[in-house]
Amino acid sequence: MATLEVKDLHVEIKEEKDQTREILKGVNLTMNTGEIHAIMGPNGTGKSTLSQTIMGNSAYHVTKGDILLNGESILGMPVDERARKGLFLAMQYPAEIQGVTNAEFLRAAINSRRPEDDQISVMDFLKELDKNLSLLDMSEEMTERYLNEGFSGGEKKRNEILQLLMIKPTFALLDEIDSGLDIDALQVVSKGVNSMRGDNFGSLIITHYQRLLNYIVPDVVHVMMDGRIVKSGDADLAKKLESEGYAGLRDELGLDVDLVDDNR
Amino acid sequence: MISAVQDYEAVKTAVKTAASAHGEPQWFVDRRLAAIDAMQDLPLPEMKRYDFHRWPLMDNMTLTFRDSDKHLADHLPKADNQIRFVQVGQTTVAVNLPDELAAQGVILTDIFSAFREHSDLTKKYFMEKVTKYNENKLTAYQQAFLNSGIFLYVPKGVVIKQPIEAFLIQDSTVKQAMVSHVLIIAEEDSQLSFIQHLTTEGDVANAAHCMVEVMSGANSHVHFSSVDELGEQTYSFLHRRANLSRNARFDWAIGIVNDQNTLGDITSELIGEGSHSESKVIAVTTGKQSNGINNRVVNRGKHTTANISQRGVLLEKSELVFNGIGDIIHGASGANAEQENRVLMMSNQAHGDANPILLIDEDDVIAGHAASVGQVDQNQLYYLMSRGIDKKLAQRLVIRGFLGAVLDEIPLPEVRQEMIDMIERKLEDGQHFE
Repeated sequence: MATLEVKDLHVEIKEEKDQTREILKGVNLTMNTGEIHAIMGPNGTGKSTLSQTIMGNSAYHVTKGDILLNGESILGMPVDERARKGLFLAMQYPAEIQGVTNAEFLRAAINSRRPEDDQISVMDFLKELDKNLSLLDMSEEMTERYLNEGFSGGEKKRNEILQLLMIKPTFALLDEIDSGLDIDALQVVSKGVNSMRGDNFGSLIITHYQRLLNYIVPDVVHVMMDGRIVKSGDADLAKKLESEGYAGLRDELGLDVDLVDDNR
Repeated sequence: MISAVQDYEAVKTAVKTAASAHGEPQWFVDRRLAAIDAMQDLPLPEMKRYDFHRWPLMDNMTLTFRDSDKHLADHLPKADNQIRFVQVGQTTVAVNLPDELAAQGVILTDIFSAFREHSDLTKKYFMEKVTKYNENKLTAYQQAFLNSGIFLYVPKGVVIKQPIEAFLIQDSTVKQAMVSHVLIIAEEDSQLSFIQHLTTEGDVANAAHCMVEVMSGANSHVHFSSVDELGEQTYSFLHRRANLSRNARFDWAIGIVNDQNTLGDITSELIGEGSHSESKVIAVTTGKQSNGINNRVVNRGKHTTANISQRGVLLEKSELVFNGIGDIIHGASGANAEQENRVLMMSNQAHGDANPILLIDEDDVIAGHAASVGQVDQNQLYYLMSRGIDKKLAQRLVIRGFLGAVLDEIPLPEVRQEMIDMIERKLEDGQHFE
């Protein structure tokens, strides 16, 4: 069993004129393989910041706290090393890269985890690729296109899940994988994630809406507000939020948090 | 240019002796001597925003002929069915032209045989129609000290489907400038594609003057690719020019990854009405090297189309200047000239420049330009690395994407792949020292 721990994590970003702003104000979270966690919360509370910081995006500066993978701090590791240690982030806005085909990129990503004298064979790669393409209802032609270039929003999200299935990370962070998806695409993406469920896989799903959690049922739900996790519970917590809204929970907890996006 | 005071009369005497001993026809010996006379007062070629005056391009003012070791070409892939020309230094190692093409009148031979055996054609065209020997000091040097090269003649209406591959290997196992010339005459309605490979064997410091002249006849279709991989001890001057007749189509696809300073001067002269040229150049610079590249298109005829597309990548402390020159001559109504020059800086110690230069002397034209000097996209890099790909490979993939806009349009897949491989090698070398 693998474990990902976030301990009293404080993160700030640089803004204009050398100003900094603290976004995460002491996040604590422990997850194990075999578990699916969901993080919900209103806009601007730091959900994406948490996932980007765990992955190692250099725009986010950790000022306090730690992130441990199987007890080892990963804060000093560059993003590619964290990925090879088993972390994966399905991004909200995947980059487009001309001149590099999807298939070539996937092979490079898989091979980056393997020793140089044991790279994946073309046959094994194609077999695995075909299996996952059909699971995600994607055409083969997608893999010969340049990476995300000219992909629709939905195609990009499917492509993120295709990478997840091909790379098989230990922990996957899914950042608003449901945004911009219609109900059919949402089902396909969920099917992909659910196929990964098992003892050797854990996932942290970031979402605004409870809807996704009907398809990927979480073991634990966390609610984030103003840079902290304010409440954790089981799948029912998400349903309760859906009916009562974040304001209801805020008032119940007696928090002094502004929920209007524009004021953040 | 460090120009030692030369005793030009003594140089002429020596050149005359060497050329005659080499069995050259009198008309060409006379041209050499005229070029030496002209050289003395001619200026160096003009290169905007770029200084190459101190490069040792002309420190070898002697004409010598020697045989090179043919085994220096042994590393070339075997290809019996290829139309192929191989030259090591001044020594022609292989000329492989199918009999049926020879029977149609196609000529593929070394330049000195052509002077002797096809003097009617060479006398008329060699540095007379496309590039004139007295344009500048370096063109005069070319004619005076020419010591190797190729002549290709494709008669009217002959279509050569298979690409013609020329391997020109600079022999730098000895002290000897490479002064090489590729003269191509494509007559009316002919079609051909020519792929040139420039490489260096040996590590003696030598200059390389590699000139290409192409005469594209009416309605001809010529594609010229060059893969330039000259060595670390070779300062080079790459002068390439094509004249296009009526409705001719002529394209350049050039990859410059030499390991030493390079002056590139690439021109398409669109003389005939309705002619069309695409000029594509990729350059990668590493170490402390400096490349200055003029890519010039001249719209002279009516309804001519001439596009420039250049992409450069700079690593370490290198310098790269792209000048895109669009020259539309008065009377070229309906001309169309678009250009795009972009450079990508992989190091903050590199110096890159992309200069669009438009000279338009006609109202009824369409002309446009785009230029940029940029850094690698951090977001793309982060994305690739977040999948476990290490930084260096991620950088190379992003660079490939940047060059893709030019690479994708190279029509011959084998040339495209060769350029990709060569760029990868060069990038790996550059990254090695970071």
